[in-house]
Amino acid sequence: MSGASSKSLGKGSSPPGPVQEGLIRVYSMRFCPFAQRALMVLKAKGIRHEIININLKNKPEWFLKKNPAGLVPVLEDSKGRLISESVIICEYLDEAYPGKKLFPDDPYEKACQKMILESFSKVPPLVASFFKGKKEDHHDIREELRKELRKLEEAMTKYKKDFSVGDAVSMADYLMWPWFQWLEALELNECLAHTPKLKGWMAAMQKDPTVLSHLIDAKTYHGFFNLYLQDSPETCDYGL
Amino acid sequence: MSGDATRSLGRGSSPPGPVPEGVIRIYSMRFCPYSHRARLVLKAKGIRYEVININLKNKPEWYFTKHPFGQIPVLENSQGQLIYESVIACEYLDDLYPGRKLFPFDPYERARQKMLLELFCKVLEYQNITFFGGDRISMIDYLFWPWFERLDVYGLSDCVSHTPMLRLWISTMKQDPTVCALLTDKNIFLGFLHLYFQNNPCAFDFGLCAPAIR
Repeated sequence: MSGASSKSLGKGSSPPGPVQEGLIRVYSMRFCPFAQRALMVLKAKGIRHEIININLKNKPEWFLKKNPAGLVPVLEDSKGRLISESVIICEYLDEAYPGKKLFPDDPYEKACQKMILESFSKVPPLVASFFKGKKEDHHDIREELRKELRKLEEAMTKYKKDFSVGDAVSMADYLMWPWFQWLEALELNECLAHTPKLKGWMAAMQKDPTVLSHLIDAKTYHGFFNLYLQDSPETCDYGL
Repeated sequence: MSGDATRSLGRGSSPPGPVPEGVIRIYSMRFCPYSHRARLVLKAKGIRYEVININLKNKPEWYFTKHPFGQIPVLENSQGQLIYESVIACEYLDDLYPGRKLFPFDPYERARQKMLLELFCKVLEYQNITFFGGDRISMIDYLFWPWFERLDVYGLSDCVSHTPMLRLWISTMKQDPTVCALLTDKNIFLGFLHLYFQNNPCAFDFGLCAPAIR
């Protein structure tokens, strides 16, 4: 397994060769929350994989053949088959690979995980708009985020057996986690003030070995954010 | 037990009782494309189901206990479990009920179907503007148009009955001089189809002046 901390490939780079048999490749970016979903599932299921980081501020031409939308994550297997969209990738990995199933077997329990994810769906665009947006909008976005997090907590209370996680870290937990990791760096933790169960869930998640292996501290995120907002081509490699 | 073609329940109606064993209930509306998805899956898999149509302009108070925002479709089983979001409901039905599997077995083929669905959802998202490319007609509108012109002929214009934006787009397109200039009369098109399905080679010239007598 390689590549998690490798320099990203940008315009003018040579396209990588085919993926070796027995391995699966993920095109990623060290700070992308969507890509982090795929990396966490790969880790949680112990799937042999290689990582190629893409310079999203200066994309290689060959990358558009992997995903015309030019987004990460993208999965590529040794047959050259490509899968894009983080949730689709994570579901595919859970179905195609043996070992610990991250989605429950029971159809209703599985549907519950998906309904939780539905309730979470406004959080990523809100966090992105906070991060990219103007200071004048911050107040309104914080308000929106508080609302969405309250709704999420209600959905999780209804559909989750137990917030304490433990052995029971499941797909929905991993799919939501990367944005919660961003909250601290963006100083948005106070939006969780009225959602004590979510706070408890976060604390429990931070004990999970897979989550721990992907933790990035707030200072590193700040460095990334600064470069991102300056549109620097060095953004994706911050800290290397 | 109620079927697809039943009056909708509105404000002031009594909440329905529990769902009987062996049956699944769908809260629906006869013209809603999203609940139509779930009804297609129920039918395709031969699942015993009952339909309760909801008056979406005058929702029953009890319906908000089935869905927090009163949306459809919602599935309810005899254990009182509720599932909403059309795609989640359809996947749930395919997972739970045996018989004809609608999603492919192969995980990669399943992923491909989901990627295609993502693309389709993006098209649906564009319904909120006058033209697909912005505020004036452009390439994308012309690239989509031929299939929509044919909806009426195929007897499919009901497809857009619940999508007012798409209906508006269609009527706006019909005002475009280019679209008008090339619009095929419905009866001519029907005549073509009729002959085409009979494998008649004259189909392609249907509606043209009669050939000179040989």
